[in-house]
Amino acid sequence: MTSEEKNSMFEKYEAGTHRLGMILSSVTLVLLLSAPFLMGAVLGTMPDLGAAGKAFLAIGLVYLVSCIAEYLIYVPILGSGGSYLAFITGNLINMKIPCAMNARDIVGAKTGTPENEIIATLSIATSSLVTIVVLALGVLLLIPLQPILQQPALQPAFDYVVPALFGAMAYKYYRKHMHIAVWPLLVMSVLFMLVPSLESATSFMIIPSGALAIGIAYLYYRRGKKKGGPL
Amino acid sequence: MQAQLNGPVMYAICGGIIFAVALICVIFLVRAYRAGLAIGMDKKKMDLAITSSATFSLLPSVGILLGVIALSGSLGIPLPWLRLSVIGALHYETQVAEAAAEAVGLPGLSASAMTAQAFVTIALVMGVCIMWGMVFSIIFNRSYTKKLKNPSPKKTGGGLMSEFADTAMTAMFIGLVSAYIGSYIGGLVSGQGLFTFRGDWMPLVAVFFSGAAMAGFTWLVEKKKIEWLEGFSVAGSMLVGMASVVLAGLMF
Repeated sequence: MTSEEKNSMFEKYEAGTHRLGMILSSVTLVLLLSAPFLMGAVLGTMPDLGAAGKAFLAIGLVYLVSCIAEYLIYVPILGSGGSYLAFITGNLINMKIPCAMNARDIVGAKTGTPENEIIATLSIATSSLVTIVVLALGVLLLIPLQPILQQPALQPAFDYVVPALFGAMAYKYYRKHMHIAVWPLLVMSVLFMLVPSLESATSFMIIPSGALAIGIAYLYYRRGKKKGGPL
Repeated sequence: MQAQLNGPVMYAICGGIIFAVALICVIFLVRAYRAGLAIGMDKKKMDLAITSSATFSLLPSVGILLGVIALSGSLGIPLPWLRLSVIGALHYETQVAEAAAEAVGLPGLSASAMTAQAFVTIALVMGVCIMWGMVFSIIFNRSYTKKLKNPSPKKTGGGLMSEFADTAMTAMFIGLVSAYIGSYIGGLVSGQGLFTFRGDWMPLVAVFFSGAAMAGFTWLVEKKKIEWLEGFSVAGSMLVGMASVVLAGLMF
């Protein structure tokens, strides 16, 4: 297959992905928003829209800003197919993004290539299906499973699943880029020490932390370019 | 109230939506796999991406299941099941549900105080608060991904930026990890008062041991050439990190 044929085939695939993604995301959105009203019909009541508006102003606006940042940052990592799916299925930071990055690294796909687009989509779809199956099985087995999973001795393990994820990912990404990692890690640590209340806004702190890491990486990149060596 | 929230019709509504989302995932998976084969990608690499993603997702999924269990006490099982299967995010759900409960006049997320109207209002707020990523995808994905592929040379520096894109992505991820680990360090040092060093140190135990386990896995894969371990390295490291927290809790 020539490179032109490959490109044309991939372009067709991508156009189809956008068409499908837009339609299926819209369908999911309608299903999701209609669910509370359907449940209300079953329970003989309807949502209190005034209270819902109040709650949205209290907390929803925070998520709106967070969603804008997440969208801008994650779409380049996930590609078109992966991002449609990831935003439908959620759990981005704690699962989909590291999962897609992990698959991409194992396979050796480069950002912006057709291979990266395919691998990200395969990874997000698989990850989502695993979660759906685990949750469905879990819900089925919830009654017999509940006493085991809620054993007091096991609770700390599940309370710290996210730090455990970031420990593994830190080794993976820091070990070859410690010269970059040391700065955001230092700045963030000092910031959280001085302003402990920021802990509830950690997801927002990803933006300055990421910007700092990218800025430092760029400085090293430019310096490497001038010297003619690697980063 | 709990009996109504856990009624068969509730399961049917939530299960139906989750089934639709599972179908969407299968459609995307099959299309991507076929397209990969059509453009000449190595089948083994695609299979490896699938298996590594499946093993990677198993443990976090169990964690998400625990989120369902945690919320089931006040919201029944079907709604948390739906929320955490579709767009949900384990970290956000409780916070949003709590805010919605307060807005409808409940003292908080409480099973005993829950009313039918409070429940459906909470369900609506949980959906509306976190739907924006999907909305942006519908509106902007086509143009945004096109722009990413063809950056304006004037604005981005052209070739230089596309060469740098891969490093930038890694750096972005370093920033993400650093923000969280920084928050754990800050939490330990100032979580219970500025510079008292009496905050929660368990997140750092998990970080340290899962990182150490990852180093072990990397050594086995790279030096001992046990390459099949790579697909299990992150999940295995997480398991070690989580187990270390349980052991630390028993010891101290």
